[in-house]
Amino acid sequence: MSRRLASPVTIVSLIAVLCGALVGHAADPIPIGVSVAQTGPVALAGQEQVLGAQIAEEYFNKRGGVNGRPFKLIFQDAGSDEATAINAYQNQINVAKVVAIIGPSLSQQMFAAGPFAVRAKLPVLGISTTAKGIPQVGEFVSRVSAPVAIVAPNAIKAAMDINKNIKRVVVLYAQNDAFSKSETETFQQAVKDLHLELVTVQTFQTTDTDFTAQVTNTLNAKPDLVIISGLQVDGANLVKQLRELAYKGLIVGGNGLNTTNIIPICKALCDGILVAQAYSPEYKSKINDDFKGIYKDRQKKDPPQFSAQAFTGVQVFVEALGALDKKSPIAKMDLAALRVELNKQLIAGTYDTPLGEISFKASPGGEIVQKQSYVAQIKMDPGGTSGKWVYVK
Amino acid sequence: MSSSLLLQQVLNGLAIGSVYAIFALGYTLIFSILRIINFTHGAIFTLGAYATYALTGARFGFNGLLANAALPLHLPFVLALIGGALFAAVSGVIVERLAFRPLRTRGSDPLLTLVSSLGVAVALVNVIQYLFGAEAYSYPADPFGQLPSAMNFGTSTEPVLVRTVQVIIFGVSMVVLALLTVLMNATRTGKALRAVAEDTVTASLLGINTDRLILLTFVISGFLGGVSGTLIGLSVGIAGPYFGIAFGLKGLAVIVLGGLGDIPGAVVGGLLIGLAESFVPAQYIAYREAVPFALLFVVLLLRPQGLLGRAVVQKV
Amino acid sequence: MPAFLAAYDFLLVSMVLAAVLALSLYLPLMAGQLSLASPGFYALGGYIAAIISTKVFPPAAGLYPVPLVLLEMAVAAVASGVLGVIVGVPALRLRGIFLALATIAFVEILRVISLNLDVTGGAIGIFGVPQPFASQIHYMSLAIPLLVLCMLFAARLERSRTGRALVALREDELAADAMGVNPTRYKVLAFTVGAMIAGVVGALSAHFINTWNSRQGTFDTGVSLMAFVLIGGSRTFVGPVVGGLVLTALPEALRGIADVGGLPGWLAQFLRDGRLIIFGVMIALGTVFFPHGLITPALLERLGRGRRHRVEAA
Repeated sequence: MSRRLASPVTIVSLIAVLCGALVGHAADPIPIGVSVAQTGPVALAGQEQVLGAQIAEEYFNKRGGVNGRPFKLIFQDAGSDEATAINAYQNQINVAKVVAIIGPSLSQQMFAAGPFAVRAKLPVLGISTTAKGIPQVGEFVSRVSAPVAIVAPNAIKAAMDINKNIKRVVVLYAQNDAFSKSETETFQQAVKDLHLELVTVQTFQTTDTDFTAQVTNTLNAKPDLVIISGLQVDGANLVKQLRELAYKGLIVGGNGLNTTNIIPICKALCDGILVAQAYSPEYKSKINDDFKGIYKDRQKKDPPQFSAQAFTGVQVFVEALGALDKKSPIAKMDLAALRVELNKQLIAGTYDTPLGEISFKASPGGEIVQKQSYVAQIKMDPGGTSGKWVYVK
Repeated sequence: MSSSLLLQQVLNGLAIGSVYAIFALGYTLIFSILRIINFTHGAIFTLGAYATYALTGARFGFNGLLANAALPLHLPFVLALIGGALFAAVSGVIVERLAFRPLRTRGSDPLLTLVSSLGVAVALVNVIQYLFGAEAYSYPADPFGQLPSAMNFGTSTEPVLVRTVQVIIFGVSMVVLALLTVLMNATRTGKALRAVAEDTVTASLLGINTDRLILLTFVISGFLGGVSGTLIGLSVGIAGPYFGIAFGLKGLAVIVLGGLGDIPGAVVGGLLIGLAESFVPAQYIAYREAVPFALLFVVLLLRPQGLLGRAVVQKV
Repeated sequence: MPAFLAAYDFLLVSMVLAAVLALSLYLPLMAGQLSLASPGFYALGGYIAAIISTKVFPPAAGLYPVPLVLLEMAVAAVASGVLGVIVGVPALRLRGIFLALATIAFVEILRVISLNLDVTGGAIGIFGVPQPFASQIHYMSLAIPLLVLCMLFAARLERSRTGRALVALREDELAADAMGVNPTRYKVLAFTVGAMIAGVVGALSAHFINTWNSRQGTFDTGVSLMAFVLIGGSRTFVGPVVGGLVLTALPEALRGIADVGGLPGWLAQFLRDGRLIIFGVMIALGTVFFPHGLITPALLERLGRGRRHRVEAA
């Protein structure tokens, strides 16, 4: 059935492609691709990213877009698997003819789709891909999602400030998640560097909901501090079950717990978690206040990190396009040249974003340099339905 | 190993296992009557959990088609639970009419039912996401708020704690098991159901309305799916549209381990897998996820019909 | 055409590889064995290729030599074949849904092992798998011959004595046994050949998707393969091939339709966001309207006769 449908579709899309090639009018919006996980098990992250990107699209277009010329985000679902991410990329690159792509959501997907951008010579920006090796995929692959290298020791130090007697540490992480696997290595190294005793390392899966066995193993190790690297729902359930089974010590949560989405799960028990943040809603700057205001207006809560990083991704491309346009008008460039020049400009620039001031390393090209990173402690309201991330360090 | 740790691990195992058992009871019922695996069970389970959520009057998030929607009623939790389970039962009936009955009347390959139920499951999960977004939800008022969050089965110096909600799930799964056993073995309907399970054609020749009984099976299975979805949702939150699907694979291991289609077998299988997971030594926790499947593999090689299953020649 | 190829080169090769993988599930099914082990061998093949090409041979500038890819495919075939026999001999005493479950357990155990080994890179997996071709579409030069070989093998098998023995096993194992067909031998044979095919596809896929990790070749893959075979048709080898091609293309075709101009906004939006709702419904409807699959031996015969008539008329 699909094949019968496919052929007229093909013809029409071919015509669209041919027409697209001739479009170059200065007033046409500049297409920027956004391919994140809108379906599949990772859709919770993707949904937040779409929100952040949409806010950026309206916000920057209202402020004149790219030197007066509007831009347009093209959303193509990258799903939660590698093949769909590649299909989305190919569609963005060859059919939608975008100048740059934001996404996909998972590091594993970027390892698969990234090389396609490298071959097509078009800049792509990871907004939630924190695994080691992402900028090394090649020229044209950058990211605004910082690995937690600096934040991780800070979070542990913050815990040591609160409780001077911390000696025994238990580390738990989601073994099937690239983000958590990379993060836990940093945490475990930091524990050793700070001369703390790593008493046991426990693993779980992001799809797990019951952590009874891990909690028992953790409590048997009599820790003073528990460090968790996981994603939103599993991480929050682990916190909840640790607390319900009478763990009284401090908890440090990785970057995956830096979202208000954990609140429906652990409710009042979220209280007191120290969170390593690549983004803090409390960060004071004009752009973050604006972003936070719009987000809060729509979702009635503080923006999560994924939304802020997606907003930043759009902002970085828009500002790089603007800077490039001032040097040499982009309306006169053909698409291939524009993509290459945009990538150069992207890496050369410095950006004042909701994440703070960021820039990119020249080697490995495209790795983020983020000035601000934060450690916050969650303070829950007595009812347990809302909470605040209070800046600690 | 100290005795309190041993007790803790046994109770942990029962707690983990009762979640698998309660999920698997509705799952195995369909197999016991129809000899097919119903992949939609996980999705029906999720639907039940969402329906209960809606019936408590709670609001949905801002990311689906029904952004910020809420029903204009605030049922107490127990009523909402029953309502949610009824909704799941009705969904089960619709699924049976659309995806199972047409195939059954055409006498097509039983494996094909597996595929059609898979298609329906994919559609249902994505409908849930389309309507309500991908976020996690939790029931607003904790119905067991007055109870302590964990119960102590040890002493005050050596506590052995089990989360209260898991004790409740264990209790409910035992009650459901008892009710199903009575239904199957001590009622006329149960006898008729067993006749249908034995041989649909002969049963209908004997004047049994097989279509009605199969529908009843889906009603009960859907209802149980809804109850278990809500209870597990109470324990760990409703983890988005894939909530129930995540239990599907292990649920399959549970019902096969116990003996496919055997109702007490589902509970035995669930508890056994829970115990096996609980007794994985702390240093080998990284391999815990493989334990239920290794157990399943070994049991199948030793007893191909499962632990409590009868040896039957399988028709495929 | 070049624009179409540029946009859909990856999809087209994926479709062909899916068709080959579907055949790896079809072979044991010919003998009535519902095995969902193929994804496990597919994962194994992928890891073998990813490890050989990134760790054994040092990275070099330029394209990765195609003969080395062929070597990896051969290693994957041998390794999968050996593992296939080891797993198949005990497991194939099981039947029906019990065999399916045992093979699902096998796949799940492999996944957990790959998450824990250093050589497989845990959750991050192995990335930067080198490219043997300058363009994705050139993967066809390996994928198409692979598909043709497997189809020829299946076609010959269906007509051979062995194939008839397999079908006899599917229809009635006891009777076949009584007629002197050695069930274990033929079942293990079909299972092992299926395993080797899956391993070879995995090896090629690791290059094709640039990376390999524990998310490749899981239970979900197995379920998709089952849908390919049963929707395509499980009574002739053409069925799984058609099923693999069509069902792999379907979600992307829906995406393509949404991009076509002129559709009302809400419909385009639904096609994009509700793509998987439509996909699921189409699978369910497919089973209802084509209870024996899209392609049946009877249909092939009718088509064959039609062509002969036309030839005679001309």
